[in-house]
Amino acid sequence: MTRFLDGVSPQSLRLVALFVALLATVLFFSTQIDGYLSPRMFNRITTSVAVVLPVAAGQAIVVMTRNIDLSVGSILGIVAYVIGQMLGSFPELHPVLVVAACMGLGAVAGAVNGVLVAWGRVPAIIVTLGTLALFRTFLVEWSDARTITTASLPQWLVDLPQATAFSVAGLDVRVTVLLAVAACLVTGLALARLRWARRFYAVGSNPDAAVMAGINAGFVVFVAFVLSGALAGLSGFIFLAKFGNITVVAGMGFELKSVAAVVVGGVSIMGGSGSMLGVLMGALLVDTIDNSLTRWAVVSEFWRDALLGFLIMAAVTVDTVASRSLARLRAKGRAE
Amino acid sequence: MKTTKLSGLALAAGLAAGLMGTTALAEAVTAAPGAEVNAVLLPKFLGILPFDQANRGAQEAAAELGSTGTLEYIGPTPENSAAGQIEMLTTATTQKQHVVMLSNNAGDQIAPTAEAAQAAGTKVVTWDSPIPSGAGETVFIAQVDFGSIGVVMADMAYDLAGGAGEFAVLSASPDASNQNAWIEAMKETLKGDKYKDLKLVDVVYGNDQSEESYNKALGLVDKYPDLKVIMAPTTVGIVAAAKAMQDEAMCEKVKVSGLGLPAEMVSYSLNGCAPQFALWSFVDLGYLTYQASYAIATGAIKGEIGEEFTAGRMGSFTIEEDPGRPGAKRVLMGPFTVYTKDNVEAAAN
Repeated sequence: MTRFLDGVSPQSLRLVALFVALLATVLFFSTQIDGYLSPRMFNRITTSVAVVLPVAAGQAIVVMTRNIDLSVGSILGIVAYVIGQMLGSFPELHPVLVVAACMGLGAVAGAVNGVLVAWGRVPAIIVTLGTLALFRTFLVEWSDARTITTASLPQWLVDLPQATAFSVAGLDVRVTVLLAVAACLVTGLALARLRWARRFYAVGSNPDAAVMAGINAGFVVFVAFVLSGALAGLSGFIFLAKFGNITVVAGMGFELKSVAAVVVGGVSIMGGSGSMLGVLMGALLVDTIDNSLTRWAVVSEFWRDALLGFLIMAAVTVDTVASRSLARLRAKGRAE
Repeated sequence: MKTTKLSGLALAAGLAAGLMGTTALAEAVTAAPGAEVNAVLLPKFLGILPFDQANRGAQEAAAELGSTGTLEYIGPTPENSAAGQIEMLTTATTQKQHVVMLSNNAGDQIAPTAEAAQAAGTKVVTWDSPIPSGAGETVFIAQVDFGSIGVVMADMAYDLAGGAGEFAVLSASPDASNQNAWIEAMKETLKGDKYKDLKLVDVVYGNDQSEESYNKALGLVDKYPDLKVIMAPTTVGIVAAAKAMQDEAMCEKVKVSGLGLPAEMVSYSLNGCAPQFALWSFVDLGYLTYQASYAIATGAIKGEIGEEFTAGRMGSFTIEEDPGRPGAKRVLMGPFTVYTKDNVEAAAN
């Protein structure tokens, strides 16, 4: 037993724990909700996760550097609105360019945060709480109270959320889902394989040591915020495609959704650790619980949020306790 | 020349009203134009179309009345609606504004602030969404009779469901006093014999956000496989629900209805996802609200039951007891328009 545990890292153990939690959630609700284990429910959850996953991936990078980005919801809103509006004027724009524009605009907004945190030396929570309101106010002013409607969007974008990339065992994987998962996995691969990307972990786990080691910590933090903005921009694109009708409240609350996915996914809020697979699992777990509670007749509308909060807390607690006792078990195993 | 004469008449009428005091007049009072009225139009939050339209109406009325004071259109950002409204009402009071026109999104939480405003001499006229208890409110400018909205919603559900079956409500926020009042009024209507086969199965809240409303609409059709109608008495919710049904190719089975803006609903009306919905003119609502506020701020009327005043191009209105809120007063605007594929395109442009 202990030898088996020796072979796996704490990160992998966490993934296993998350997987078990997800499985338990799905099994529980399948006994509660009619037609739960269906291709339809699979689509409901995956397309819903697709919107939040890129934001969560970006948030994870920022959290790894021991910072937090509370402005991602507002960035997402700006991107969905402004690019949606632009598409009304330039409907022939190539889809790839549209995605690039979304990520570019998000990156610019992220850079504002990055500069203020990295070189302005203002704590991230204060900077991004400020830009959360600032970006939203900009959007309110910019919008002139008009709503972007699907009628003004090009047809390919309106059709995109229903487009299936491929089907596995009767389950359709939508293009937007593929896009979001790909973004998450590419980010994950880069974090794991690129030497430069290890600096995010270094700066997060010990900023002083990182600086001593010759790492330009300020620049690393700046890049983290730019990436977070760009990935929020990608979520903005998926949001625009999926919901079509965009008002100034678009994306409100996504900062908390992304933080929930990141924390449940096992990224340490103290910085320095975490994996994209964890974030993927975290986003999936939170969204599965949320979507299932919406369809569960037992809980009323008002208790749903409270229950969701409780389940997230429970998930984090179980995760922390489990990984701690596993670590102890392993230490004991080594000592023997 | 003609205008001077008219304003002279108006002044006389205003004076007459002042002299006669609170006795209920048969004649409508016309407030004297050209007075200095500093007013604030305070919507639930900034950035969505209906409130902007109301502002257009209020500005129109202010220009017509030739107020030499200011008319500011300020409001909280969406994420800070309830707290922001309370803060802005406090600020307006300390600035000694003459009148604040409020579309309340803070329930009764704002009542103490409104009472403090009244005590300091700032009138609080609500429109669109009242203070539920009526505390601290001079008068409420009701877009339509809240009871009749209940009837219209019940009737639209009845029509779309073919007289029988399940339907659900997708509302804005649980704190929105106007939506809550309409849903209650609809429930009252549903007790009637005509609606006995119509069953309201659930009320859910999308908090006036597209994504939340969209997900809640999908949740409803999953939870109630026999659902026939989603009734969304909110302009954000109705569009999101219609989009969700269209995306799921369920428009044949589940119809969307409620209160919506023609400009945002036109495509869903034409393709049959939302064959019927209703709304009133927010421009007129803003116009009437300013006219009433101006008359109150200048003292032409006191805001008491039975007083009648003229509101420019819209004719005359009487302050009456609000049947939905005992002890509170309202001015009833009305009527609303039911939109179908036949008239939605004309209204959208």
